[in-house]
Amino acid sequence: MQMYEEQKSSCPVKVPVECRFSPYTDNGGTTLAIAGDDFCVIAGDTRQSEGYSINSRYAPKVYQLSNGSVLATGGMYADGVTLVKMIEQRLEWYRHAHDKQMSSGALAQMLSTILYHKRMFPYYVWNTLGGLDEDGKGAVYSYDPVGSYEKQKWNCSGSAGHLIQPFLDNQIGFTHQKEKAPLTLERVVQVTKDAFTSATERDIYTGDNLEMFLVTQNGIEKTRVELKKD
Amino acid sequence: MEPATRTQNPVVTGTSVLGIKYKDGIMLAADTLASYGSLARFRDVERLIKVGNTTIIGASGDISDFQYITHLLEKILIKESNTEDGHQLYARHIHEYLGRLMYGRRSKHNPLWNSMVVGGIRDGEGGTFLGFVDLQGTTYEAPTIATGYGAYIAQPILRKAVEGREDTLTEEEAEKVLEDCMRVLFYRDARSINKIQIAKVNASGISISDPRFLDTEWAFAEGIRGYGATD
Amino acid sequence: MAMKGKNCVAIAADRRFGVQLMTLSTDFQKIFEINPRTYIGLPGLATDVQTLSELFRFKTNLYKLREERDISPKTFSHMVSSTLYEKRFGNYFCEPVIAGIEKDGSPYICSMDLLGCINHAKDFVVSGTASSQMYGTAEGLWEPELEPEELFETIAQAMMSAVDRDASSGWGVIVHVITQDGVMTKTLKARMD
Repeated sequence: MQMYEEQKSSCPVKVPVECRFSPYTDNGGTTLAIAGDDFCVIAGDTRQSEGYSINSRYAPKVYQLSNGSVLATGGMYADGVTLVKMIEQRLEWYRHAHDKQMSSGALAQMLSTILYHKRMFPYYVWNTLGGLDEDGKGAVYSYDPVGSYEKQKWNCSGSAGHLIQPFLDNQIGFTHQKEKAPLTLERVVQVTKDAFTSATERDIYTGDNLEMFLVTQNGIEKTRVELKKD
Repeated sequence: MEPATRTQNPVVTGTSVLGIKYKDGIMLAADTLASYGSLARFRDVERLIKVGNTTIIGASGDISDFQYITHLLEKILIKESNTEDGHQLYARHIHEYLGRLMYGRRSKHNPLWNSMVVGGIRDGEGGTFLGFVDLQGTTYEAPTIATGYGAYIAQPILRKAVEGREDTLTEEEAEKVLEDCMRVLFYRDARSINKIQIAKVNASGISISDPRFLDTEWAFAEGIRGYGATD
Repeated sequence: MAMKGKNCVAIAADRRFGVQLMTLSTDFQKIFEINPRTYIGLPGLATDVQTLSELFRFKTNLYKLREERDISPKTFSHMVSSTLYEKRFGNYFCEPVIAGIEKDGSPYICSMDLLGCINHAKDFVVSGTASSQMYGTAEGLWEPELEPEELFETIAQAMMSAVDRDASSGWGVIVHVITQDGVMTKTLKARMD
């Protein structure tokens, strides 16, 4: 009988590789943005995780940009950091070229282009961009990692996005409700806090701290609220 | 066409590095073993290094990649000092550099296979800094950091001892908790050794201890039954 | 989804029946009355939903003939659990939710995985394709000690908002609020797409 198919090629025997490199990781976290008539609230938790480990209890992933918009990033932290650096560079170039700040609408389109340019090796980031438009109205844009985007009134993405988005539909969009309460900044802040305390209960990747950016005509106010640390 | 095969594997590796903030500064700990797979290949390799006058780095993962990084950092420090512009690189800057370096290499699918802890004086304004960088370019700051197995075994102990006490923890207490953690790691991490170093950054500068042996206790092993013990 | 209130419980489900993206029926029953104080919701594979509902009808009828009383929600949930675990290897594809009022008037809710592992909760339980959405809405809207009317409003809002964000759920919602005095059932219209 013929022996097993030994030595068919001169290739060395394939050994199972101990650890294959993956350029991607998921650092978890939840981000949220709500647009009001003359304000915008952008928020995110500050936990950074990897697998079942918590890397840091305070690693902010919501960034105030130099043109007065606020960008919330979720997914891979390192890609988020890199993307924000890219955007800041492009905002600076824009200032030098046009001697004015980029509008939030222009930034929204630019972010989509930046993301799509890396279509074949994407930034693993779910972005939510918040700010005021040229008329001073609240504006929220949300993106997928390859740049498809949509202007919205409210958005929640990241690890607890599935949990919180229907809650926002109900509390901010007043779906299935007869009376619609006026959408004041105070109410939006309260709903945001409630959303994150709820998300912290059921999502292990959300917790530690909540960082909120309140964008109004008078400027941007940053506030921090503690969340559960477990 | 064959796909590019730049991605290597770690070859000679170091295990956990621990880092904490304490009252006077930053303290790092690591053992001195460089393993070749499961073989304890080099028993006296120093994985804690000084970078400039305000920063210390501890590295786990591939030792040769770390020595290459050390070389890059030396080059940068020389260039920076040659400018003679009165600026110097503090821990925050070194951490930022390493973050970009590691992210750049991961984006070329050719990573430097390390997890590093960076500690020291934050910047020209003073303050302390404790940060982390890994092979994917992930970065963060925290009052306690542990790489490798340390993230599972030492991190809970460190957090219990340090969180909320960053400004009151004394040097003796800090050194004790790090040593305790290194001992637990030696008991439970098969790729560790009982020879450790501790590095400190505080107002009086940087000090990296000579390698020293941990006191360990094995008498309890007599009482263990099962796993092959017959009586 | 089931929720506890003050001396009352509520159980709710959507009315869609479909195979992946194909909707086949828009008035599918997933909640079944076991007795006037015990209801069970059976989300999952439709054939198992119907088999199990008939099986539980059979088993609780036998229980009533033997014991000359209605089965209590807690006893019933253990009956369900055992029934599922009996088929440990070759299981039913169904994750039940049970809600009811105990003999002493206390509210009872629980959920189960497809092998019969019981999960008791002090507030609410969820099951099915929109479970993560329901966790979010219920966690945000539920409060302790709700009266029956408030409980109805809470579970209705939580349920409707959740199914609107799940492609595999919808076509209205049915809610039963169970109190000591009786059951209030309402069928709600939501997004019919």
